[in-house]
Amino acid sequence: MNLIDKYIAEVGKHLPRRNRADIEAEIRSTLEDMLEERKQSQGALDDALIAELLKEYGAPRKVAESYIGPRYLIGPRMYPIFEMVTRIVLVVLLAVALAGLGISLSKASLVGPEFLRTIGESALGLLSGLMTAFGNIVLAFAILERVLPTKEFEKEAEDWDPADLASEPDPDRVKFGEQIFEIIFLVLFLVILNLYPGVIGFGFLDEGNWIFISPILTEAFFHYLPWINVLFLLQIGIGVYLLRRGWWSTGLRIANIILELASIALAVVMLRGPALVALTAEQLANTPLAEEAQLFTTIINLAPTLALTVVIIISSIEVAQMIYHLVKGRPSSPYPVIK
Amino acid sequence: MENDELVQNMILELRRGVLSIAVLSQLSREEYGYSLLKALSEKGMEIDQSTLYPLLRRLESQGLLKSDWRIADEARPRRYYVISPQGRAVLNKLKREWSAMAATMKGMLS
Repeated sequence: MNLIDKYIAEVGKHLPRRNRADIEAEIRSTLEDMLEERKQSQGALDDALIAELLKEYGAPRKVAESYIGPRYLIGPRMYPIFEMVTRIVLVVLLAVALAGLGISLSKASLVGPEFLRTIGESALGLLSGLMTAFGNIVLAFAILERVLPTKEFEKEAEDWDPADLASEPDPDRVKFGEQIFEIIFLVLFLVILNLYPGVIGFGFLDEGNWIFISPILTEAFFHYLPWINVLFLLQIGIGVYLLRRGWWSTGLRIANIILELASIALAVVMLRGPALVALTAEQLANTPLAEEAQLFTTIINLAPTLALTVVIIISSIEVAQMIYHLVKGRPSSPYPVIK
Repeated sequence: MENDELVQNMILELRRGVLSIAVLSQLSREEYGYSLLKALSEKGMEIDQSTLYPLLRRLESQGLLKSDWRIADEARPRRYYVISPQGRAVLNKLKREWSAMAATMKGMLS
C-alpha cells in the first residue's frame, strides 16, 4: 500500500458510506494529475515528493470535512429552543431539589454527620437528576433536529406578526397587580397575627347558628411571631419600593433572594419545632363535629405542616427563578433608556 | 497585523460569493477537476482543491452541472464536468446580477 492509498483510505474513514467510493476516486484522480504535473517539472517521483504533495493537499480529516460540511447534534435552528427548554427544566429541577432538601433537613438533625450526609445526598441526587434531564433533552432535540422538516421553521419565520412583539413580557418590569396583592395579603396577615390572633380558627353553620372554634394557635407559634413580623415587614418594604420604582434591579433581586432564603429557613425551623396548632377532641365535644372529632383534629393539626411545606416549595421556586433572572441578566443598552 | 487577518477573511468571503459564477462560466466545455483548477488559476482565480471539488458536487446536486467518469487521452479515469441547460440559464441570470452589482459598487466606491 503506497502513500497515496494510505492517504485516501484515511480520508475515506471520515466520509459517509453513501458516496465514499466516488469521492475517493475523485481525490485519487486529482492527486494523480498533480503528481503527473510535478513529475514533468521535477523529474523522478519519490516518496518525499508524494509526501510533500499530500501535505499540500491537506489533512485527511479536513479534506473529508470539506465534502460533508459541518455536522451537529442540535443545529442552529433548534438551538435557541433547546437552550430555553434546558434552562426552564434545570431551574425547576433546582427548585424541586431545594424544596426536597428543606423537607429532608426538617426531619434530620441539623448538626454533625447526619446534617452533612443529608446535604451530600441531596447534592448527589440533584447532580444525577440534572444530568439525566440534560441527557434526555439533548436526545429529544437531536431527534427533532432530524425529524422536523426545515419548511416548518421557514413557515414560522414567514408567519410572524409584529403585533406579537407587544405581548413579550419584560422580566425586569414589576408586575403591579402581583405586588399589590402580595402587600395586601402580608399586611392583613400581620394585623391578624399580631392584633387579632383570636380570629384564627375555623367556623361553620349549624342549623342557622355560626359556630367558631378558636384559639387553636399554640405558644410555640407565638415564639416565632417576631421573626415572621420582621420577614413580612421587610417583604412589604421591598414590595412598596418596587411599586414606586417599577423595575427590578440586581440589588433588589439579591435582597429578595436573601429574604426568601430566610423565609425557607424559618419555615424549616417551624416544621421541625413543636406543634403550631393544637386542637383537641374536647374542644369539639359540644359541637356537631364531636362524632368526627378525631378526623377533624388530625386534619387541623396537619394543616401547618402542609402550609409550611407549600411555603418552602413556592419560596424555593421563586429563589430559583430570581437566581435565573440574575444570572441570565441582560446586556446594557448602548442607548439611554428611560425607565 | 490584526487588520491583515480581517482583510484576508473579507477577501475570502468575497471570493466565496463569486466562485459559483466563476466555475459555471468555465464549464461551457467539459473539464475534469484538475484542468478546471488550472483554467481558473490561469485566469487569476486561485482556488483550493478542497473548495473546488465540494463546490462541483454541490452544483451538480443542484442540477447546474452534469458529470461522468471517462477515460480520455491517457489511460486514467477522470470525472468530467460540464454545465447543464439549467446551469446555463442560471449563469445568464447571475451574469446580469453581477453586472448590476459591479456597477453599483463602482458607483459607491468611486
